[in-house]
Amino acid sequence: MEFLSRTQMIVAIAAVLLMLYVLDLVRRRRLSEEYSFLWVLASIMIAVLGFSTPLLRGITRALGMLFESSTVFAIGLAFTIVMLLYLSVKMSRLTQENQMLARELALLRHELEVGPDARTTG
Amino acid sequence: MGADARGMPLPSSRALVVIPALDEEESLPRILAEVRDAAPGYDLLVIDDGSRDRTAEVARAHGVAVVSHPFNLGVGAALQTGFRWAVAHGYEIGIQLDADGQHDPRFLDALCAPVRAGTCDVAIGSRYVESSGYHTPRFRRLGMLLFSFVVRLALRRRISDTTSGFRAYGRAVMEVCQHDFPKDFPDAPLLIALGRRGFRLQEVPVVMRERQAGTSFYTLGKSLYYPYKNLVASLMAWLQRSP
Repeated sequence: MEFLSRTQMIVAIAAVLLMLYVLDLVRRRRLSEEYSFLWVLASIMIAVLGFSTPLLRGITRALGMLFESSTVFAIGLAFTIVMLLYLSVKMSRLTQENQMLARELALLRHELEVGPDARTTG
Repeated sequence: MGADARGMPLPSSRALVVIPALDEEESLPRILAEVRDAAPGYDLLVIDDGSRDRTAEVARAHGVAVVSHPFNLGVGAALQTGFRWAVAHGYEIGIQLDADGQHDPRFLDALCAPVRAGTCDVAIGSRYVESSGYHTPRFRRLGMLLFSFVVRLALRRRISDTTSGFRAYGRAVMEVCQHDFPKDFPDAPLLIALGRRGFRLQEVPVVMRERQAGTSFYTLGKSLYYPYKNLVASLMAWLQRSP
């Protein structure tokens, strides 16, 4: 296996270690399968590029980049942006659901306290 | 007659049919009537999983108990709510039945028989134990074969219909599942996890029908994530040590 630099080898090994760590988090139930999906996908991509120099060279040429390392960083950055956007969407939904739960709870508490048929005016 | 956790008298029937429903106002009346006709000894509970239509209203109009989620939580979470209800109300068997008309209530007795007899803890209504003439799309069939293989590797036994949503669970299983249940796709990983916990699984031949109305829980977007989730979750369930 040919590596262009020591950095490439370190990145490739780090990607494999990251994937194993992510899967271990899933195993220990500290990360759900849903959130692990993007992490596993990204680390597989980085690992494949790290271990396959011809593929890394090909993609670098196709993207018009000067250095192979830029390609790896660009992919890493793209993943970061996608992940942040995904988390923002998820957070928005959680906020919305949290509000719904609080509203639902307030209405139920009101029903418990004054009964379902209570009127607002005398 | 005994009493449940809240001191309420236990119902005469020991089996509860749990129907998770998402926007199923069209198909619900038919399936509720069918269960009443074909299996009058079973109690019914509809879990309205955040429907935007009149699902809960329709179910209540048929005199059925309804628990409504304030928003959509997923089919697994809906079943989990059903199991909590079943355990709290003293049921011995909980049956998972789809609202879309795929599952024929005439098979309820056959499905519950091995759980009642104590020969298994989970009975799976299977389309493929005997030829039932059920048509499955090729892509889905491929996935079923894959996960059937995964289950076979993990449990060292064959389960031909891992994706069947027509199942009967014994009380001990429901007591575990009310706390720990996959929120979506309760398929192969669930069977592996239950098998690893020492619960006995058994397939019961049933005939399934094409879905009659409503929208499936399995949308296109989810179908891309489904294989990944099921493979990883199956692996994790397999890695868990049996107690």
